[in-house]
Amino acid sequence: MSAVSDGRPHQGRVAVVTGGKSGIGKAIAARLLHEGARVSVLDVSRSAPDDLPVASYQVDVSDERAVDAAFDEIAAREGRIDYLVCCAAIFPARPFLDLPAADWERTLRVNLTGGFLCCRAALRHMRPRSFGRIILFSSMLARTAGRNSAHYAASKGGVLGLARSLALEVAHEGIRVNTISPGVTDTPQPRGNMSEQELFGRAASIPLGRIGAVNDMVLACLFLLGEESSFLTGQDLRVNGGASLW
Amino acid sequence: MTPPAVTVISGAASGIGRATAARLAARGDHVALLDIDAGKLESTASSIREAGGQAESWPVDVRDRPAVERACAGVVEKLGAITGVFSNAGITGRQPVSAMTLAEWNAVLETHVTGSFHLCQVALAHMVRQSRGAVVLTSSDYAVVGMRDQAHYAAAKTALYSLTKALALEFAPHGIRINAVGPGPIDTPLLRAGRTAAEWEERLRLLHARIPMGRLGRPEEVASVVEFLLSDRAAYITGQLIQPNGGQVMW
Repeated sequence: MSAVSDGRPHQGRVAVVTGGKSGIGKAIAARLLHEGARVSVLDVSRSAPDDLPVASYQVDVSDERAVDAAFDEIAAREGRIDYLVCCAAIFPARPFLDLPAADWERTLRVNLTGGFLCCRAALRHMRPRSFGRIILFSSMLARTAGRNSAHYAASKGGVLGLARSLALEVAHEGIRVNTISPGVTDTPQPRGNMSEQELFGRAASIPLGRIGAVNDMVLACLFLLGEESSFLTGQDLRVNGGASLW
Repeated sequence: MTPPAVTVISGAASGIGRATAARLAARGDHVALLDIDAGKLESTASSIREAGGQAESWPVDVRDRPAVERACAGVVEKLGAITGVFSNAGITGRQPVSAMTLAEWNAVLETHVTGSFHLCQVALAHMVRQSRGAVVLTSSDYAVVGMRDQAHYAAAKTALYSLTKALALEFAPHGIRINAVGPGPIDTPLLRAGRTAAEWEERLRLLHARIPMGRLGRPEEVASVVEFLLSDRAAYITGQLIQPNGGQVMW
């Protein structure tokens, strides 16, 4: 007997992925493309190579006008927006007492306000069609906190509040909003703050014995975008190898 | 070629257990069905077989330790090594704490909590030999929020979430993942039980107003979450509570 097949559930879906030129965002964009989705990517990076055949927008997600313009252009070209996956984030780790207000402000602006602006812009196009799937990336640190992470943890905690409130507002309109909270994951981001040895050394304190792989987050994201999760909204999927159990 | 997954499902005769058994069988699992209701259990098994799936049934009260041991030994003998468990057997009743008898309290706690302890302990003893597999326990939104008139049910579901976390830590070194699914209001026989048609209509109105998605969930919408958690797609997820609840509880 053949395995359950929902066919190709993402075939033809119009997806927007922010932070889509590196790390988890890039892997999600690539996988959605492979699944037959039509993918547009927003990323602040100018330098990252466009090695995926996606429509790419060089946009700072905290720039209201640029975000609105990009989503309007995508919707005009594709006819709609079905999926929004918000991965864009920064994490300049700093001890709290040495944390410049500018770093605090910029982290909140990109990680939290960026999510707000992208969700709002995408919803303008999702609502008239009563269909939408939104995934925001939070972080295990939103709950556990961590040294040198006050600004990042605050921004990612804010993402949970944003996602739940938004989920409530649009739940009856065919739009589901969920979050993913990764633990330490093998991407460029943590390498800004720790050595390779430190990064892989984290595995020793993680019950499943390894740090997260990008693909773990990709598979969680596909689950939340697809119909297997049809009764999930406002939920946080904690993909952390058991490193945090709440 | 890897042998097919062998998944043990308790509370398999109806509702979420039955829908999950059907879904897992459709993906190719050999499913071992446990339930106290032998008649309904056989009807679930035969409907799965008619659809082309592999299902065997063991009429078992999960509170009965020797019966659980015999069933799991029978599963291994008849279907092969156990690779998955969905510990889902549960009952409920409606009674304010002030009027609840000890017998009512014990029946609910023993079925959910002690029953899951038995099934998990016995099945995991088989599973550690493979260093492979996953377990899902049925908890509830009421592991997180309070509930009137079902203190025993809420206490049991919270205990199951705690059991999930402890098992996740204990069995992670063996490569076995343990998660909980925490359904909100799902249209099952358990939700309808003990209500007249009029009471059910009234209840439905309340639930529809309270659930952000504006409807009850279907058992199949829990089954799909259980299938995900039992699959390798959730290879880095353990000790977590996933809540298909239409947005009723966000936590």
